[in-house]
Amino acid sequence: MTSGFDIPGPSEISRLLRGEIEVISAWSERWVGGRFILHLAVIILGAGLYGATMGCWRGPEQALFVAIKFPLIMLLVTAGNALLNGLLAPLLGLNIRFYQSFSAIVMSFTVTSAILGAFSPIIAFLVWNAPGMGSAGSTYNGILLAHVAAIALAGTTGNVRLLQLLASLSPNRAAAMRVLAAWLTGNLFLGSQLTWILRPFVGSPGLPVQFLRPNAFQGNFYEAVFRAIHHILFG
Amino acid sequence: MNEQNPIPPIIPIAGDDLAERAPIPHGIAAIEALLRQPLRLLYQLRQPGAGRLIGQMLLITVACSLGYGVVVGTFSGGTQLWAAPAKIAAGLILSAAICLPSLYIFTCLSGSRARFVEVCGLLAGLLMLMTILLIGFAPVAWIFSQSTDSVAWMGGLHLVFWCVATAFGVRFLKQGFARTEARSQAGVNIWIIIFLLVALQMATALRPIVGKSETFFSAEKKCFIAHWVDCLIGKGSSWKPNPSN
Repeated sequence: MTSGFDIPGPSEISRLLRGEIEVISAWSERWVGGRFILHLAVIILGAGLYGATMGCWRGPEQALFVAIKFPLIMLLVTAGNALLNGLLAPLLGLNIRFYQSFSAIVMSFTVTSAILGAFSPIIAFLVWNAPGMGSAGSTYNGILLAHVAAIALAGTTGNVRLLQLLASLSPNRAAAMRVLAAWLTGNLFLGSQLTWILRPFVGSPGLPVQFLRPNAFQGNFYEAVFRAIHHILFG
Repeated sequence: MNEQNPIPPIIPIAGDDLAERAPIPHGIAAIEALLRQPLRLLYQLRQPGAGRLIGQMLLITVACSLGYGVVVGTFSGGTQLWAAPAKIAAGLILSAAICLPSLYIFTCLSGSRARFVEVCGLLAGLLMLMTILLIGFAPVAWIFSQSTDSVAWMGGLHLVFWCVATAFGVRFLKQGFARTEARSQAGVNIWIIIFLLVALQMATALRPIVGKSETFFSAEKKCFIAHWVDCLIGKGSSWKPNPSN
């Protein structure tokens, strides 16, 4: 019998990445503290490494800041929406326990972070090859595009694995889709605002390196988007 | 009925034939196995102690890339005789190291059951086959390097040789990957594109390799495509060959 705090081996991460659904659904049936710690470690390490590569274009200080902030966003989104996600699942037709919904989301972030961590040497190499701050405009946009591609790939894969898990736990695929859509909406809503507060990440070339911008808690992401659209339409 | 459920092609499992289970005692045997019996090599990569075999494969890779590098360096001569081999060997190993984590992740995402050491072995096999083939191309490259002064021409020729060698290396990787119970080849195909881009950019980052300059590395950061275009239109004036050659 496994105790609640046995530390499972790193091979579990490979099984998670492979999407061995029978095994993963069995994990979600029972809370194992050691497994949670392992997943947490992968999120901190994988997303932290990726964060460091994200910030390294501006300098080592920015790299350190983003290495802290990037995993922090994932952990804050998971914790902040844990209760809501746990409540939404049974309401939308997926009768799972609170810890099952929590561990499912942690597992999806673990997959995403592992992929991001694996991409970090490639992105670091790309940043190292990018022209310096002198030719900032196109380089900055190019780096942003590379990050968008890497994060989109990692995020999509994490959510595909989450959907496969939810489908295995659910009586029908429609319920799994509804729950995933609701969780994604909630996580994107909170995640966007947290990202807004914790900016900068890559760091605009014209602005100083800072852990948080002085106006971090003034306004919100959606207001900024609204203002930007208004500016485009009405000048 | 058969049209709806076509029978998938049978992929032989490495080690089915007894001859494929013969151990690979040293590097020369590893080269033989890679060229004539890739399944034997794939079988050995799954056995305990595969790390030693991978080490030997990497040593051969380094030796072969150093050898080919000397031939590349003969175009410009002087410091390039040692700088080009050092850069080619280091660049190849560094590119592989940068791309190894993503190869393992793509392998897992494809549903493959390959262990990390096996993935390292497949990558080492790719590198070894690539560099052995480059050694095969070396005499041709040397003849051309002695008969032309054009950096763009020599660079293009080395690029063609590298592409041919890489195609065979990639074929070995995919052959091995197909035997790891992977559900799809999409991940490994994406990875191959990433690896090619990283290797090409690495060659640009470590320039000059074919030509010559006053400094060991060029301080200017450039995308490999921009660098090629500059070489073709003759803008890369700092990488002219040594007139003595």
